[in-house]
Amino acid sequence: MSFDSTYTRELPLVEAKKSFKEIDEVIALPTETKPTKGWWIAFSISSTALLIGAFCLSLTFYYGIGMWGNNNPVGWAFDIINFVFWIGIGHAGTLISAILFLFRQKWRTGIARFAEAMTIFAVMTAGIFPIIHTGRPWLAGYLLPLPNQNGVWVNFSSPLLWDVFAVSTYFTISFLFWGLGLVPDLATLRDKTTSKIKKTIYSVLSLGWTNSNRNWSNYERAYLILAGISTPLVLSVHTIVSFDFAVSVLPGWHTTIFPPYFVAGAIFSGFGMVSTVLILVRKVFNMEHIITIGHLEKMNKILLATGMMVGYAYGMEFFIAWYSGNTFEQFVFINRAFGPYAWTYWTMVSCNVIFPQLFWFKKVRRSIPITMVLVILVNVGMWFERFVIIVTSLHRDFLPSSWAMYYPTLVDLGLLLGSFGFFFTFLLLFLKTLPLVSISEIKAVVEGAQPTIHPLPGGNGQHHD
Amino acid sequence: MVSIMIKKLINSLKEYDSKADTEHRSKKLFGLAALYNTPNEIITAAADVAGKGYEKFDVYTPYPMHGMDDAMGMKSSKVGYVSFALGLTGMCLALLMIWWMSSVNYPNIIGGKPFFALPASIPITFEGTVLLTGIATVLGVLILFNQLPKINSPLNDTDFMKRVTSDKFGLVINADDEKFIDADVRKLFLSGGAFEVQEIYYRETNLGIKTPIFDGKFISIIFATAILTAIITYVTLNIVLYDVVPFDWMWNQAKINSQSKSDFFPNKAGMREPVNGTVARGFLPYEYKGMPDSSVKLLSNPLAVSRKVLERGQERFNIYCSPCHGYFGEGDGRMRDQFPKPPSLHNQKVLNWPDGNIFHVITNGQNVMPSYAEQVPVDDRWAIIHYIRALQRSKNASDEDLTKSK
Amino acid sequence: MDYKKKPLPPIVGKAGFGLLGIGLVLIILAFAVNTQRAFFDYLWMYMFLVSVGVGSLALVALEYLVGATWSTPFRRISEFLSSLIPVLAILVIPLLFGMHDLFHWTHPETLQNDPILQSKAPYLNVNFFIIRVAIVFAVWLAFYFLFIRNSQRQDNTKDPALTRQSIKLSAVFAILFIITISITAVDWMMSLEYHWYSTMFGVYYFSGTLYVSFAVAAFCAVKLNENGYLSERLSNNHYYSFGAFMFAFNIFWAYIAFSQYMLIWYADIPEETFWVIMRMKGSWAYYSIGLVFVHFIIPFIILLPRSSKVRPGLLTKMAVWFVIAHFYDLYWLIMPTYFKEGFVFGWSELGFMMFAVGLIITVFRIRAAKVNLVPVGDPKLESGLNFHLN
Repeated sequence: MSFDSTYTRELPLVEAKKSFKEIDEVIALPTETKPTKGWWIAFSISSTALLIGAFCLSLTFYYGIGMWGNNNPVGWAFDIINFVFWIGIGHAGTLISAILFLFRQKWRTGIARFAEAMTIFAVMTAGIFPIIHTGRPWLAGYLLPLPNQNGVWVNFSSPLLWDVFAVSTYFTISFLFWGLGLVPDLATLRDKTTSKIKKTIYSVLSLGWTNSNRNWSNYERAYLILAGISTPLVLSVHTIVSFDFAVSVLPGWHTTIFPPYFVAGAIFSGFGMVSTVLILVRKVFNMEHIITIGHLEKMNKILLATGMMVGYAYGMEFFIAWYSGNTFEQFVFINRAFGPYAWTYWTMVSCNVIFPQLFWFKKVRRSIPITMVLVILVNVGMWFERFVIIVTSLHRDFLPSSWAMYYPTLVDLGLLLGSFGFFFTFLLLFLKTLPLVSISEIKAVVEGAQPTIHPLPGGNGQHHD
Repeated sequence: MVSIMIKKLINSLKEYDSKADTEHRSKKLFGLAALYNTPNEIITAAADVAGKGYEKFDVYTPYPMHGMDDAMGMKSSKVGYVSFALGLTGMCLALLMIWWMSSVNYPNIIGGKPFFALPASIPITFEGTVLLTGIATVLGVLILFNQLPKINSPLNDTDFMKRVTSDKFGLVINADDEKFIDADVRKLFLSGGAFEVQEIYYRETNLGIKTPIFDGKFISIIFATAILTAIITYVTLNIVLYDVVPFDWMWNQAKINSQSKSDFFPNKAGMREPVNGTVARGFLPYEYKGMPDSSVKLLSNPLAVSRKVLERGQERFNIYCSPCHGYFGEGDGRMRDQFPKPPSLHNQKVLNWPDGNIFHVITNGQNVMPSYAEQVPVDDRWAIIHYIRALQRSKNASDEDLTKSK
Repeated sequence: MDYKKKPLPPIVGKAGFGLLGIGLVLIILAFAVNTQRAFFDYLWMYMFLVSVGVGSLALVALEYLVGATWSTPFRRISEFLSSLIPVLAILVIPLLFGMHDLFHWTHPETLQNDPILQSKAPYLNVNFFIIRVAIVFAVWLAFYFLFIRNSQRQDNTKDPALTRQSIKLSAVFAILFIITISITAVDWMMSLEYHWYSTMFGVYYFSGTLYVSFAVAAFCAVKLNENGYLSERLSNNHYYSFGAFMFAFNIFWAYIAFSQYMLIWYADIPEETFWVIMRMKGSWAYYSIGLVFVHFIIPFIILLPRSSKVRPGLLTKMAVWFVIAHFYDLYWLIMPTYFKEGFVFGWSELGFMMFAVGLIITVFRIRAAKVNLVPVGDPKLESGLNFHLN
């Protein structure tokens, strides 16, 4: 490549040129060695959080959702906040694996697999909340349009039902996408391992994949199609989540910009979470050459961009609330910014719009400690965004006589903690069992991996480049 | 006991883990495999082989290689057609499902919207399309196009496979290709720069007719698992969790049911009594309660006849009176044959009764008829009486009535 | 690269001037016959030209911002199209004189009897409106000159620092573009019905600008390249990108339009629905249904197969289709305020359309006569020419 990479934002994808064998070694290492002390510490923390969550969930099941802080005007609170938060986190994974694939951003290869796994675990975490929010989650089968003895069907004009379809489709497609990508890598591990048990497992899971080019050809087309359908899918999921609020007539919920605003917010928070975890993972598993600082810088740029989009939506909402001349709309926004929950509003604005402005500076973008602080703040800010949208709109609406405050209970907080435990426990298990970077994809973008000639059958080699 | 079992299990696993793969290869040749070092070598070799007219050959690379499809003379993949067809099916099915369920089979007005409205159907239709497209694509590419899973391919478990899944590029020409001649193929490989040529033989299992999926042991394990799962599910759902909070269908609730005991109140009764000297609305006490007809000073109907009153009377009559008296007061109610048949309300006696007498009967009961004072508030009783009068008149209408109603 | 500049054939200039001339005559006639209708048509044409001109500048910035290389050989086309911006700065002046005809909120008697409008008066008043227009144009013109200057200077100096500078500019412009285009949409189109409001409206117009400016760029790129004005090394890979992006922008528009409509339909609040109901009255109902097909469904089906994204003939036809669809869309946004009972399309509207197309061709031709059609000094050009899909 003759051009200077500065102008095209194309960085060397794998630092310190590695041979294919070395790539195999580096990526397969975590799956072949015993967990380190660091991993065990992380695992015990996350599984403790998970246990606390499980305990709080049992309390909820036994005594009912009266254990939560939800009250009469604030019927949706931590449950739905956590749902929207986690489903949003998932979006970055699909964005990285599908949208960046369609835009041929090759730098995605280093982080795509990991981000996809995150999507799956985040959607699983998210899926818990609407189901436990129903109060009797073991009857959740009635959410699906299945024939039943009551002769009734689900309500197809309810956005809550659209959620059921959107989230389950999203999980299925993300899982298939991730699984399809894993097949060739599992074949590599199958041929690399010396343990027969592992070999049996890998053989079964890799379905007997042989790296045949006739297979690759179909595989690549299928991958493209999956990326093509995942892109509108990922937009649709958070769009439908935004419909949960926006189809109502509640000021602060009903506003037409919600769909793209939610999608931008989801990508923003998702990238925040991907960055948070990647910074730790690349350090712990010695993958600084594969998940480079260049990756982190690019993600910081996307954070800056999506943060600005979210900021645009905040501004537009505020402006139109005033412009509408509708006193209820105006009140909601004044109440958000200056009412009893003003602190949550300003936390949201500062974490999501103001602090990420630091990413304008290249030094900040490439500094790992500062990035770490900022991305954690993004996570915090995006959680509070959902809090602001849900709680502040509900706690003071049309009827001042039924205004009330919402305070979370210990069980609420325990469930929030438990959701993190659930997510990170799965993530840690993934890190130790499966290749966290796509081996075949990373090999394909190593310098010199692609032929420089393109011959046709029987013809002579045609040179290019 | 348990620890010994676990130890045994671990030992047997360890033993299995260290056992070498002992599968035998047959003498039948599957094909010749060559290994190359660089992408340019393999792509040239592939183009060469394709150009020489070989058809049953394949290239094995650790990652998809650009331009290889053209070099091998392959047509572009057809996966897209399957995805498209199933995607379209998904779209139609989802729309059909929403339309049929919400406007044909179970129409319900929700939020003043039409039974079937396109804007509200689009989200689910979209998800249905994507779901089926995605599943079709993945299953299509794996099963239909790449014919996986196929764990016992002759190539698997060979040194050749170990190299091409890691860092080398391989080319295999199948022995059943029409043009396959051992020496020619070797020459072709070596002249293209192959650093190694291997013979790949079929496994013995490849040649046998026995399909592992019909193995008796395998099938019995599947069956045993299915039965065990079914039993566990049944026992858990129907026996273990049957009466356990919170899975008890809310039978056990933190409230006191009527007629039940409560330790909270001094009289140990869950129900409360009205405060002394108070009367519940609509339940003014009847002066002549329990007295025989003769000693009663009959009341007159305080309600004026109106459409509303008559409709109320009809409704209450149909609920409380019709089971025995029948919908038209002829004594042919739904309870006949199970309960003594009451006399008709159209007999001369009742026709002659003043309203107050009927009120007295409803309030007090008569013969086997119990008192309805508890169920029917005072005003409703008078409304019922008006309705009974209407019934009586309709049964005994004169010509005059008919002309009047015109 | 080996680029030889060729002048465009004279037919282009003649066609541009011809359309411009006929359009101008019809426009003058239109103003003579019915001034108010002419002003609405004028606004319609103006918004279209803003979409193409400012949208093209946004595409230029977008290329720098995301570091795309495939589009570098075609960047000049968008740069030429963005030269509409200075022309627009002149074209907007007559429109400001027509504000009384266009906007009910400018009428003092309306303001007096309308408490809702009074509460909006700090924003919706003539002075602030003109100030906003001036600020918006200042932003557009400033960035237009900076981007064009950098790009053209690079033809001779081949200085990579200019690209670096443009990348920085593009980050700033991206933000200002979104804000200015939203203000433009709210001011010129949303305030036609001053009671109506939708937070999505800015994004809606923004999606339309990308839709049409990309289509116009694709049309010019394919036509120029098929006739040998660009480079032999541009291939199906580039065409595919044009097709794919047209397809993607189409879906994006549909997504935004659907979301806005669905939320208004579902919540059913009278403050919002009246705007939609205006577009369901009389023949407007057919027009609205037509919008879904013309703007989204038909192009979606045509552009869906992979093969149709690389057929140059089809791409240019679809680009023309997109231009018409955007006209159609803007007509839907603007005209129901004037034609309340049903839509009318007469010679007056046709004249304004011809003028707009003629203006685009003329501006493109004048710029193409002076400047290279390919940014020969751009450091990304080589990689753009070599661009392969995989």
